[in-house]
Order: sequence, then C-alpha cells, then structure tokens
Amino acid sequence: MSHSTVPRSRAEAKTPAEDPATPDGAGRRFRSRSRSRSRDEQRRGKLSLRLRFKRDRTLILMTLPAVLLLLVFNYVPILGNVVAFQDYDPYLSENGFVAIFQSPWIGFEQFERIFADSAFWHAVQNTFVLFFLQLVLFFPIPILLALLINSVVRPRVRALAQAIMYLPHFFSWVLVVTVFMQIFGGAGIIAQTLRRHGYEGFDLMTNPETFKYLVTLEMVWKDAGWGIIVFLAALSSVSNDLYEAAAMDGAGRWRRMWHITLPALRPVIALLLVLRVGDALTVGFEQLLLQRQAVGVAASDVLDTYVWWNGIRNQDFSYAAAAGLIKGFVGLALVLTANKVAHLMGEQGVYKK
Amino acid sequence: MTPNTSAPSRRSFLASTAVAAAAVAGGMPLLSACGGSQEGRKDGTTSGKDAAKILPAYVASDVVAPDIPAKNGSAAGFTKAIPTAELKTSVAKKMGSGGKLTILSPFFGTPPKTGNPYYKAMNEAIGVEVTWQNQDGVTYDQKLGAVLAGSNIPDVVTVPGWNLMGRIPSALNAKFADLGPYLSGDKVKDYPNLAAVPTEAWQRGIFGGQLRAIPMPAPNVTDIAPMYRVDLFKEKGYSVPTSPDEFLSWAKEATDAKSKLWACDDMKWSAFHIFGCLSGSDKALWWNMDGGKLINRIETEEYLEALEWTRKLYAAKVVHPEAVQGKATGSSGNRFTAGQVLVYNNNISDWWGKTAEQATQNPDFEMGAFDFFGPDGGDPTLWAGQPANIFTFISKKATEAQIKDFLALCNFCAAPYGTKEFMLTAYGVEGIDYEIKDGLPVKTTQGVNEVNGAYDYTGNPAPYVAYPDFPEVTKGIVEWQQRMGAFTKKSSFFGLTVTEPNRWANLADDFEQLEDDAVRGRKKISDVQQAVADWKSKGGDDLRDWYKKLLDDNGSAN
Repeated sequence: MSHSTVPRSRAEAKTPAEDPATPDGAGRRFRSRSRSRSRDEQRRGKLSLRLRFKRDRTLILMTLPAVLLLLVFNYVPILGNVVAFQDYDPYLSENGFVAIFQSPWIGFEQFERIFADSAFWHAVQNTFVLFFLQLVLFFPIPILLALLINSVVRPRVRALAQAIMYLPHFFSWVLVVTVFMQIFGGAGIIAQTLRRHGYEGFDLMTNPETFKYLVTLEMVWKDAGWGIIVFLAALSSVSNDLYEAAAMDGAGRWRRMWHITLPALRPVIALLLVLRVGDALTVGFEQLLLQRQAVGVAASDVLDTYVWWNGIRNQDFSYAAAAGLIKGFVGLALVLTANKVAHLMGEQGVYKK
Repeated sequence: MTPNTSAPSRRSFLASTAVAAAAVAGGMPLLSACGGSQEGRKDGTTSGKDAAKILPAYVASDVVAPDIPAKNGSAAGFTKAIPTAELKTSVAKKMGSGGKLTILSPFFGTPPKTGNPYYKAMNEAIGVEVTWQNQDGVTYDQKLGAVLAGSNIPDVVTVPGWNLMGRIPSALNAKFADLGPYLSGDKVKDYPNLAAVPTEAWQRGIFGGQLRAIPMPAPNVTDIAPMYRVDLFKEKGYSVPTSPDEFLSWAKEATDAKSKLWACDDMKWSAFHIFGCLSGSDKALWWNMDGGKLINRIETEEYLEALEWTRKLYAAKVVHPEAVQGKATGSSGNRFTAGQVLVYNNNISDWWGKTAEQATQNPDFEMGAFDFFGPDGGDPTLWAGQPANIFTFISKKATEAQIKDFLALCNFCAAPYGTKEFMLTAYGVEGIDYEIKDGLPVKTTQGVNEVNGAYDYTGNPAPYVAYPDFPEVTKGIVEWQQRMGAFTKKSSFFGLTVTEPNRWANLADDFEQLEDDAVRGRKKISDVQQAVADWKSKGGDDLRDWYKKLLDDNGSAN
C-alpha cells in the first residue's frame, strides 16, 4: 500500500466512469464517500448487494468479457452433453443443434454399452497407468532442472541452457515422434548402427510393452524444459538474505537446499500436483493418436483417443459424449480429493471453502 | 407402451422425454423400441425401375479408338500420343460462370502451391475459380468425419468409397445436393462428357435415393496390385514368386536389414486377394450369397488365412520396420522408390506415377506389377471392386449457379483421351508442365509436382489408361487388368450403393485396426474370431437379415 498516497488524491478527483481505478483506489473511494450515508450498514460489516455492485462495477465490467468467453466456450457446450442420453444423429437436420431436439431419447443405454465395452476399460487402464508413470517419471524432472539451472551463476550460460530446454516445447508432436523414430525406430540410427556391428536391431517405436515409457520419454524431452518456468519463478522469490544467513550459520549446499529452497517450492509443488491430479485423465492426445498404429490400440488407447475415435472417426456421437461425461465426473472427483488432501497437508491447494 | 405406437411423435422433444422416462423405469430394451421405423431415413439402396428414373442417359463418346480395347472388365488403353494439332475439342465454350468453388479432396503425395500455372490454366479454361483444400489421402477418413460433423462444409467434397464407414453415408445424404434435376435422363446431354460416363458408374452415384455424386468410373478388376522393383530383381537375379509360400521364403532371402533393405512393405491388401477374400473396398461388397446364405467377408476362412499369412511376413521380419508403424509415418511408395523395399502394394496407377516421378531422378528405375496367385500357387479367385468407388458431391447449400459451375468443372475433367481438355487436365500447360519430345508429351519436373492429384476425382470418362509418354506402362496396366479380370467374380451387391441403417452402421468400424494389430502380432487370430462372434451377436446377424431383405426386394445387380 505504500504506493497509494499519491494516486489516491488523483483518483478521487475523477468521476467514477472515467476512472481506471486500481482495486485499492475503488474501495477506498467508496469508503470515503459513503461514510455518512450508510454508516449503519458499514457498522454491521455488511454491504447491500446494490452497494457492493456499485463499489465494484469497474472491476465487474473488466471481468465481463472473460466471463462471456467462459460462458460461450465452456458452459454452453456443456449443455451438448444431453446427447449422451440420446441416439443422436447430427444429420437429422441441416443444423447439428436442431438435430439434438429431433434425436430420440434412450436413457442410459449408451452408458450400458460403454461399460460392456472391453476397449473402454482398456482405455481407462492405459490412462491411469500413463498418469502414474508421468507422475513418477515426469513430474519431478522440471523441479530438478529448475534447481540445476538456479545453481548456474553465469547469466549467459544460464540463458543458453534455458533456451535449449525450452525449445522442444515449440515442436509439434508430429516432429517429436518423427525425431524419435529416426533415432529409436526399427530402421533408425541406433538400430542400423547395431546391425552394422553384427547385433540384432531393435525397434522401440513399435513395442507395445515399452510404449508407456516411450511416451513418457517423449514427453520429458518435449515439455520438461518448459515446466521449469514456474519453479524458477518461485525460486527467484526466495530472499538471498536467507541463504546468506544460513551460510553464516555454517549450512552447506545440501542443507541450504533442504531447509530453504525446497520449503520455498513446497506450495508451488503442491498446487501443481493438485492441478495435475485433477487433470489426471488427460494424458496426451495427439502424441498417442500419432502412434496408435505403431503399437496398436491395446497399448495406445486412452480415454481421450477413445472418445475421439468413436465420436469423430466413427461418427458415434452419443457414445463418445457419454464416455466424455464419465471422464468428466471421474476428473471432478479426483480434483476434489486431491484438493482435500492438500488441505490436510496444510497447503493451500487450488481453492478454499 | 402406448406412447410408442405413433412413431413420428417420438421424434419430438417432449414426447420422447416421456417415452424415455417410461422406458427407463420399465427397463425396456431401448434401441429396439426406438429404431423400429426408419421412415424418412434414406437407408437401403436404389436399383431397377427406381434407379432408371433418375439415371442420366448414356451417349457414347468416340473421340479416339483405344489401342487396347477394354476386356474382362479392364480399362481401355491408349498408348499412342495424339499430336497437338489433331486434338479435338469436347467443350466448345467456357461453361463456368466465373464463380468460386472450394473443394475438399484427398491427396496422395505433396500438394502443389496454390496459384500455380496449372491451377490457373484450369480455372481459366473452365471458368470456375477453384480453391483446393487438399488433405492427406491416407488419413482422410479422420478429417472427413470432423468436417462433416461441423456446419462449415466446403462447397465440393470428394469421398472415397473406403471412407464410407460408420455414419458417413447418412451424413452424405443429409448434407449434399441432389444432382438429378440437372442430370437425370436427357438433361445430362447439356454435359456431353458426363453423358459418356457409363451407366453402371452413375448407378453407384445414387446415394439415399437421389443422384448425388459424380462418380469416378473404375474397372471392375481390383485396383490393388502387388508391385516390384524390376531393376533390383534383375540385379539380384530374383524371379517373381508364384505362391504364398514361395513369397515368404523369397522374402526371407531378400531381406538384408543391415543394408536397410527389406523384402516388402505391408502386404495385407494383396493377401486378401491372394486368398480369395471378398472385397473390402465397399461395405456392401463384404456380403455374398453363398449356398443360400449371405456371408460376410469377416466370417470367411479366406479372411483369417489372409491375415495369418500377412502375420507370418511380419513375424519373419521381412516387412520394413516403418510399415509396422502404420499410416503415421511416410508412405510405402517412398520406401519403394528409395530402394528400401522390393515389393509393395498400392493402386495400380502408382505404376505410372512412380515411373514418371523417378524418370527424372533415377534413370535406372524400373518397376512392374506381378500377377496374383492363389493360396496354393494356382489361379486366384478375385472379387470385383465397384464400377465406381470415388465420389464427388456438392453441398446442399450451394446455389444453382454453383451447382452448374460444379457440373461445368466435372464435364471438363471428364473429357476423353484425345481432346484438348484431357491434355490440360492430365498434363497441364504445354511448355510449362510438359513438353513435346519426339512427338510424345513429357512432363517437366514442374509438371510432375503440379499436375498430380487435384482434378483427379472431379469428373472422369469411362475407365481408361492413357500414358502415351510411357506406352509400356499403359500396356502393362491394361494387360494386368485383363489377366486378373479373367479370374474376377462379382459378389451379390456389385454395382449398388447401399446405406446401412444407423443402428448397425458402427458395427464393423474397428475391424481394420484389429486386422492391423493381428498381422503385426499384437493381437491373436483368435481375437479376430472373437470379434467376429461379438459382431454377430451385437447386430451382425440382424444386419445379415437386412441385407438379405434388400437383396430379395431389389435383386442383385449382376
């Protein structure tokens, strides 16, 4: 609040309409002006809805476009989930929306079909296996990389290392898969080199058993560098005084990391972990679709590709919508659980009641 | 279930909610209750008298007599070049209105840049400004579903018959215009080149009871041929295998992974032909009347034998490792021309495509197609493909002027061999895309890259093979078709376009990926058998009855 003394006087001189008010400014203006009018309300510590609206209208106005976008692109489409309870045929009418009203209702039949489909359970299993692998093998890597980068003192080297690590994030999955194929494929560099030296070639790209590790490896290569950004930001907020004080007390490198760096990262790690668990059923789409034929459906099908394959490729929209709905509910349950666990561990989590 | 007696009312929102609620409470088998009547839905097929009412009249065109006349269901072959001065004109005046059309089309290879001289010349000659949306032909099925489900459909869409899976046929019936008012009966005579399209091809263009598609006429003989590197076979002293067992032992000998050489690419399509499996190109062809019962290809011994043989090839590691990875990576044709595989299978037109492409890059390159052999090395049993299996539609939202522009475009592209229109469509602009050398049109590098793919499906004359620049390829293709044509039989639904009812449309969706898993050893042949058993119980047997009734009502087309 130290900066507010000067702007305050300027803000109060303006009419509310042209006021590009900072949150503090708006609140303060309200207090100063309404002191005489609504003293009673204020004494009770409660404001009427109208007054609160009046107070915050600039803020509300500012959020309106975002809320509108959220409504149009996130909430309205949710209504489309009704097709999960229909035998929906988008071609009953010129317009796919109108067709929703013309399609017959069939209750939970699509869900019964899904639960009886072994391919669905296979996709669920693959999804969870991939999620846990990613959690164990992928999640810690950006943290380690961030710690590593943070220990580099020379800014030039640091910038270079960061740039190299960020770069693969901007490659498309097609490119990543191709690069991996050129190296690990059956006719790739490693296989051909082995063959030239008299060994059997190997083909990591078409082995269904190791596919989950391959996918995780691709993911690490592509996105681990990008993932360090958040951790670096958290690390930069740690005061140097702490390190200096600890060093004065005779703490070595490891003790400083254990007692200062890691505790500083803890809230961020917890937050990202909760977010990741909430997103657990989203383990990659394009990457898996691209390699679907290489290892077969049994190894590569996850919930997202299952929904896509049935909904878009096979045009079985209701079935896919029902599968998507199941995914949504399981995802919700996971977020709630993860958040609860975070609270129990004394962390903030994503939200609080 | 009184509310259920009036079928149409179930379509309305409120009534159907009530039905659903009642049905859920009563634990009714819902789909069977609701799917009973299909009025207004255009499933089934159209043949006989009903088809005769909407089919265009046939007016033969005889611009140039073919050097090799069609026989045994083959294409006609043209081996001699026609001097530019003697080319005839089949489209007397520019028929397009100068309007615009956006065309979504599969493209096999690398599409050329927009605004290239070939596209410009075509637009100018036809009088229609075409914007091409060329999509990778190998994964076109995935694109097509997404495009059709959206509301923003391009004016013109090309759909290959092998992509008519799931509910795509019902989408076509809903989204694309009836061309009957412009083409039925004598009306087609406004478009003389389209009038020369064979009637059996037009018959295939009837979707949902209306003439919706401009068909691409095709020979009855299968379009998939096993092709081999003649130059490399000669170099190594190999002779062409003549039985499945011989192929396998040859393949083991020829594979030399150390020097990046594998005997073959994925041979599944060839295997289906070798073992006499019913055609897989069009869903109606999957069925055949056998001993008084309709049998589906997936129920046959031949189907399993073909998969088993292909599996053996993979297990023997004679298939290129990148073919194991499937569609996502590179095409088999590139591995073939790069000399990494000796045998691959593809549409036989690739014989010319690859030969022409390599002529400028690798003068030693020589390829050919070898004959299918039977399971024991004797004569094969082959099943006819459809007389047209690639279709081009125009959106229902198109204006009359746009539809006329579309037909002008198709009429132009359907010009027969020996016309100026044909030369422009097939060879491009003289002096830029091709040059006359020793009286033969020879494509330049620019021509090879640009005149390739687009305009392939928007109108075609009766089946032909005309590559005057490579007369030996022309001869090879037509003679291969004639030899194979002698072994070709027609299955029960040959010539008909069938739209399956929605409730069974998705039944066989996943067989292709199951086949691919099985041949690569990731699933067992017994898994395929299990899937067939599931298919039967989930509706396959009902679908059989439906097809049987269709056959009884319409009669076979052959």
